[in-house]
Amino acid sequence: MWIKIAFIACVALGPLGAQEIKLPPSLDRLAAKATEVVDVTMDANLLQLASRFLSDKDADEAHVKKLIGGLKGIYVRSFEFAKAGEYQESDVEPVRAQLHTPAWSRIVGVRSQKSGDNAEVYVKTENGKIGGLLILATEPKQLTIVSIEGAIDPDQLSELGGHFGIPKVDTRKETGHGKDE
Amino acid sequence: MEDFERQLKYALARKEQPPSFEAKTFAAIAAERSGRGMFWRWEAVAASILIAAALWAQHERGAREQAAGEAAKAHLRVALNITVTELSKIQKTVNASQAAAGRPGEDE
Repeated sequence: MWIKIAFIACVALGPLGAQEIKLPPSLDRLAAKATEVVDVTMDANLLQLASRFLSDKDADEAHVKKLIGGLKGIYVRSFEFAKAGEYQESDVEPVRAQLHTPAWSRIVGVRSQKSGDNAEVYVKTENGKIGGLLILATEPKQLTIVSIEGAIDPDQLSELGGHFGIPKVDTRKETGHGKDE
Repeated sequence: MEDFERQLKYALARKEQPPSFEAKTFAAIAAERSGRGMFWRWEAVAASILIAAALWAQHERGAREQAAGEAAKAHLRVALNITVTELSKIQKTVNASQAAAGRPGEDE
């Protein structure tokens, strides 16, 4: 009986769990402590809606439209705190745990002992193509998780800087940044 | 036979209509016209209301969709902004790390 109920529940609720990387509920609790919170949840339907309102005539918007064409979802959680130590490593561990599968691989891991900044970039490969991207950036007073599902080109993403209202960030080398990994 | 002719003559004799006849006739015609006009007028009003309601609903639906689309676009901009900013920061750190290690980066 219980197996039947569980099966029916799984079938019925299956579409709700379409998000591949589940952002843990503990992140929502951090919002209460944060001074600034960004919470963006865009599933395929919302992306499609946004895409319809992106102009083909505007070069920037056309670029973004093409970029999000193959995406299934974008999920962003970003918290800024007044002081350090407001979040724990255990808050992000559930996210990392989901990446311990053969499909996901860490392509960048940056750690600054001086500033305490850490950043990791994971990509999901499907049939030799990138099928997902996850950014996990932690700073003493800031925590950011970006999960992008679907076919994404990180180079195309980087090219968005300076367009579509996104500021261009200077990525030129700096020296004396600290001891980085 | 004479009696029959007399009856026929009486029946076919011209008679003056009563004075109220004309008034009654015109009143009846006016009442009939008025009733029919009212019916068409109400029908036209109802049709106008329906058309106006349909146009209003269509406009509202369009406005709601426009607002939802613009909101989705704004959310997308925020999400991409954070993504690009984080990627750029990571790239910057990687470049700095490479510079510190004495290895030339890709952008120089």
